[in-house]
Amino acid sequence: MNTTEKVMERTPILSVEGVSKAFPGVQALTSVDFCVMDGEIHGLVGKNGAGKSTLMAILMGILEPNEGTIIIGDQQFHAMSPKEAIEKGIAYVPQHVAMMDSLTVAENILAGELPKTKSGFVNWKKVNSEAKERLDRLGLEMDVTKKVEGLGVAEQTMLAIAKALFGDAKLIILDEPTASLSRTDINRLFAFVKSLKDKGGSFIYISHHLEEVFEICDRVTVLRDGHIVGTADVAEIDVPKLIVMMVGEDVEDYTRESTCEDETVMVLNGLERRGYYENINLELHKGEIIGLTGLQGCGVEQLGKGLFGLEPRGIGEIILADKKFTAVRPIESFNQGLAYLPQDRYRYGLVGLRSVRENVTYPILNKLVRLMNLINGKEEKIIVNKYIGELDIKTPSQEQPARLLSGGNQQKVVFAKLASTQPSVLVLHEPTQGVDVRAKMDIFRIIDAMAAQGVAIIIISTEIRELIGVCDRILVMNDGRLTSEFKKGEKDMTPEKILAAIEGGKINE
Amino acid sequence: MNKGQKRDWVKIILDNFIWLILTVLFTYFAVNVPNFTSKTNLLNILLHASVLGVLTIGQAIVLMTGNFDLSAEGMVSLSTILAMWLMIEPGSVVGTAQGSGLMLNPYLVIFIILILGTLSGYIIGVLITRLNMNGFIVTLAAQLVLRGVAMIVSNGQIMTGSPKAFNWLGGAKIYGIPVSVIVTLLLFVGVNYMLNQSKFGRELRAVGANPDAAQASGFNPKRTITLAYTIGGFLAAFAGWMLLGRLETAVSSLGSGMTLETVAASVIGGVSLKGGIGSVGGAFAGVLLLSLIDNALNLMSVDSFWVESVRGFIILLALLIEAQKFRYKPKVVHEKEPAVASDCK
Repeated sequence: MNTTEKVMERTPILSVEGVSKAFPGVQALTSVDFCVMDGEIHGLVGKNGAGKSTLMAILMGILEPNEGTIIIGDQQFHAMSPKEAIEKGIAYVPQHVAMMDSLTVAENILAGELPKTKSGFVNWKKVNSEAKERLDRLGLEMDVTKKVEGLGVAEQTMLAIAKALFGDAKLIILDEPTASLSRTDINRLFAFVKSLKDKGGSFIYISHHLEEVFEICDRVTVLRDGHIVGTADVAEIDVPKLIVMMVGEDVEDYTRESTCEDETVMVLNGLERRGYYENINLELHKGEIIGLTGLQGCGVEQLGKGLFGLEPRGIGEIILADKKFTAVRPIESFNQGLAYLPQDRYRYGLVGLRSVRENVTYPILNKLVRLMNLINGKEEKIIVNKYIGELDIKTPSQEQPARLLSGGNQQKVVFAKLASTQPSVLVLHEPTQGVDVRAKMDIFRIIDAMAAQGVAIIIISTEIRELIGVCDRILVMNDGRLTSEFKKGEKDMTPEKILAAIEGGKINE
Repeated sequence: MNKGQKRDWVKIILDNFIWLILTVLFTYFAVNVPNFTSKTNLLNILLHASVLGVLTIGQAIVLMTGNFDLSAEGMVSLSTILAMWLMIEPGSVVGTAQGSGLMLNPYLVIFIILILGTLSGYIIGVLITRLNMNGFIVTLAAQLVLRGVAMIVSNGQIMTGSPKAFNWLGGAKIYGIPVSVIVTLLLFVGVNYMLNQSKFGRELRAVGANPDAAQASGFNPKRTITLAYTIGGFLAAFAGWMLLGRLETAVSSLGSGMTLETVAASVIGGVSLKGGIGSVGGAFAGVLLLSLIDNALNLMSVDSFWVESVRGFIILLALLIEAQKFRYKPKVVHEKEPAVASDCK
């Protein structure tokens, strides 16, 4: 597109029709239709796991869709190779830009085409002047002799965008470019992107920050659970409406009767880990379900892992079942009555190569071993069978490798593993991520049943609607502090209010 | 249902494919190679398989955790040389290396080299897990160091004349069957059973398949991997004891090239290089296969220049089958879920 002024026409520069993509156990995208016009900034929003990354990977030629077509200009593709995608003018600028850090801006811009002198050496004068000239054409001011590692994050992002344009990119994908930027930097970046748009550039803008979408985008598309919920002009929509599109209203909600009893199971007293969370005070009752939520990086994730012993916990006191909770390793946590369901099932939840049976009994092997550390196979099979029945795990046999189960059933295997340790407290991190709608209901039923047996449950999740459905209380964390509390039955417990609290900090006072 | 049963058969055959190959090859050699099935020759095959077998047990255990151990052959070299150095007289035979003159009791020497092997394995494990060093390089360096020390001690010369008490494991026979063969077979059966039934076996494979998930399931991957290397070190010294007993002669180049053979045997036997999958029993089949081929090629008087490449091809072939095995997935039999019911318009 270079810098030549283009007439703003509403012609699609890229469209995607009926694209589906499935991974073992997960349907990541279901017949997605998506279209970016020439010269627009198109916002793409959705929660974690909604399918944004999968869609982008398909556009970049990294993944091949199971079905569907990609149309660029007048050409149709089923799938592209990464090289083809670049040739077609699609460029991706990630959150953390990868460039040759120890080289100068000019070298990065002219990499591979450095002007040479007659004797074959690099003509440095020309390198710098040429680079400067190119940047000037985009209206970007930068010291081209500076090393890239000395630039700020915003500059690096802008430089990456500029570089993509020099490479004849027609559509630039910006993935969370503002995640680690200050407000002033965001303003500069946005001004730059807008100026490029005025010169005819097209962008896909991915972000978790909804206000930014309204600030910079022309249209916005919402993805949820691998489906396109809709596309709207930002002029015709507002934040609450967008939130409703993201969290969904048409999904049947799971609701339950509270099983909360008066007896206290766990007390957190002044828990603090520098840089992650501080002053965490929490009382957890028998059969109670608490939701913990907040923006990415607010510290809930570390709190969950810290409680379980996957990460350092910091200082503070924890009382579990009237005893001091001293576990620093997962196995000790299991033994002292606390179990944790990790967010990333494939990496932390399951040993996918091994069988369902082995996965379920990993934490309780110490109770199953007899003489010479040999495992009592009969007893093990009985236990595993019990949980397969109770949690309704669909598997051909106990010996099936866990990786071959569907996403929902894999998650149930993880639940069976946790249940086998008979915990008093259960910490669940995004328990419904990557499972389909039906399995979600099953998982809520399992959570419900465990609470009814008196297990106190903490759910760490960004699925606000789901939390509202199952939790007795929802606590919001902001920058490592618990800032607001919503109780079941109070009329404040609405997705809008909670989301406002997540984004804005204290509002409950 | 019928279909399901068929698929199970495929899996069973694939899982035991190595034994099938072994049977076919054995039959072929028995028919075509004269003297192949004589008692002496069969014992020869097993004898050849014994030292390699003991080393392979250690290698397979380390491989199951998703790591490599290139140091074992260095340990074989050092343990034999050191044992000789501690046991023989200074300059007992003209033109050979000098013993230390300590003339230690053979049983004490056995104890010392086994401890040495265990300790060296433990240190390697600690370097890799606690100091986050790359296992491939650490064990490669360890191999060089161990063999280097063996060279220094032996002055690069042959040492010969180990005492009878020491040679029992490698040289003695019971009812005409070499003790080393019996011990190796017992080791394989015992270790295989232990690793398939014990908590430690579970732990090894869980850690190898997915260390993060293993940790979140209550295991301690660093401890498991260190232990695997420690066992590997012990078995390497044990193999050294066995080998020296058979040869009654030590030289610092002993064991050269065995590391790759142990890896090949393990992989042929179905132990995954990525960790988490395989058994010591399978690795034993790999050891037998390699020994069988060596022996048959030898009997057929195949040009020794050809032997190496033929062996290489057979290893490649076995790997090819192994790689295809992982691609076979039994069809998932679970409920017919609608391909994600559409929850939006």
